[in-house]
Amino acid sequence: MADALHTLSAAELGRRLAAGTLTSRALCEALIARYQAVNDKVGAFTHLDQADVLAQADASDARRQAGQGRGPLEGIPVAIKDNIAVKGQPLTCSSKMLAPLVSPYDSHVAERLRAAGAILYGRLNMDEFAMGSSTENSALRKTFNPWDLARIPGGSSGGSAAALAAGLVPLSLGSDTGGSIRQPASHCGVVGLKPTYGLISRFGLVAFASSLDQIGPMARSIEDCELLLHALASADARDMTCFGPSDRALTAAGDAKKFRIGIPKGFLGKGVAPEVAAAVNAAVEFYRAQGCAISEVELPSADLAVPTYYVVATAEASSNLGRYDGVRYGHRSAAAGTPVEMMTASRSEGFGPEVKRRILLGTFVLSAGYADAYYVRALRARAKIRAEYLAALAGVDVLLTPTVPTPAFKVGEKASDPLQLYLEDIFTIPANLAGLPAISVPCGKSGHLPVGFHLVGAPLSEAKLLAAGRLFEAAHGYAHQQAAL
Amino acid sequence: MAEGFDIDHLAKLARLSLTAEEKALYSSQLNQILGHFQALADADLPATIDDARVVDEAALRSDEPGPVLGAEAVTRIAPASRDGQISVPRVVDDES
Repeated sequence: MADALHTLSAAELGRRLAAGTLTSRALCEALIARYQAVNDKVGAFTHLDQADVLAQADASDARRQAGQGRGPLEGIPVAIKDNIAVKGQPLTCSSKMLAPLVSPYDSHVAERLRAAGAILYGRLNMDEFAMGSSTENSALRKTFNPWDLARIPGGSSGGSAAALAAGLVPLSLGSDTGGSIRQPASHCGVVGLKPTYGLISRFGLVAFASSLDQIGPMARSIEDCELLLHALASADARDMTCFGPSDRALTAAGDAKKFRIGIPKGFLGKGVAPEVAAAVNAAVEFYRAQGCAISEVELPSADLAVPTYYVVATAEASSNLGRYDGVRYGHRSAAAGTPVEMMTASRSEGFGPEVKRRILLGTFVLSAGYADAYYVRALRARAKIRAEYLAALAGVDVLLTPTVPTPAFKVGEKASDPLQLYLEDIFTIPANLAGLPAISVPCGKSGHLPVGFHLVGAPLSEAKLLAAGRLFEAAHGYAHQQAAL
Repeated sequence: MAEGFDIDHLAKLARLSLTAEEKALYSSQLNQILGHFQALADADLPATIDDARVVDEAALRSDEPGPVLGAEAVTRIAPASRDGQISVPRVVDDES
């Protein structure tokens, strides 16, 4: 039986743990065996402290034995993207800049998971400092799509998505600045949710672009995604943008069969692969057949989203990454001279090519003489995009589009063309610019490669996104899917 | 929009040291990316950026002392330390 545990959902594992037919130690031993069998093929994890995992599992089993279980996540492993701090575990952002760093403190979400009794299970690969859409920018290792090991898993939370699709762990955490949870979720056939800006504290998340970054849950089913979301949402004064849990976001969904679904005009046209368009159109027809009202909506400034994002995100990144100067933590160059020479050498040796590219771009759009033409105009465009999305969502419950225009591409295929990679996020970026919740739900395959559709809702409409996803998932066979490895 | 792009000046501002190959590559790629940003220059945009904020009101917390990591934890992760303090290259020259 133990070899089948990696195929089960977190909810089912929780039921078995609660019923006493499974222990957290047995579950973790089975997942460690799975890790030993397939992680070298997939490359999802960059670190797993097996002794620590088993110690956490024993502590969980002891709590349960003593009648002190902490809820539905008690004893369930949750793997964590390597830009979210867990005390005593590596915190590298898959960068040479931070590679030796062990976090001296817990992020808020790590505190929440410990309080829920979850097992903090290993570090997941990512694009360096969350900058990328393929996880090819990791300085630590390659991650491959479990459905086709010649292809990318998406990114930047590529390890988080690949670990789920490979049956390495039932739940994972990602972070999403422009689509970094939802795009890899789509490419790996799993569920990924970016919450409303402010629902989940970013305390302990390494900052990339602070007005866009969010932590979110990833899972193989809507039920599991919701389970994790509920554990994470909590007020935290250490993140001034975090307003804490909201009944509206977490419980008040209504009947998904009565939802009004908006289809943005033109989003299923140019640049969308025919198989992706077909799978997403089939999802639209499913909702129509269920009784949902389908209508076309206008988002006239949608074409501005990618340039707006890459101005705002790189500007904020160039500022946030100024802290890596080789002084207090992270890489310090051995070729130290004056302080400025030491900082310059440390940054040049520690950062990889994509991070340097974005720092240079962000430095330019904020520089004297150009800030008004780029950064300020991008903020004005952001205001326009947000207003258009909120206006559209005043008339519908959710907006439905593909998550990504095309299925996962081959490793190396777009490595020399950053602009093409940036366009991977064309459907996911607006939710970050507008601070809106969004989810990717598996909806079919293009050949052997997963395809997802993308739902965006008004602020604090997570429960609606999950309800709509659940309605679709219940009628189709895409929940709990794992690649054969 | 991309007039005056100077890779040497940008690298200096960003505290990055670039090889000749990197300068050529990044110049080419940044020019291509900035060309894509032309849509922003051409767009009819609102005069205000007030609506760009994704949170209406920042909840500023009071400025009160709270838990800190402490010198031992901080120096443990520092690249170099001595006597409980982080050491850095000499900042001020000795007077001669």
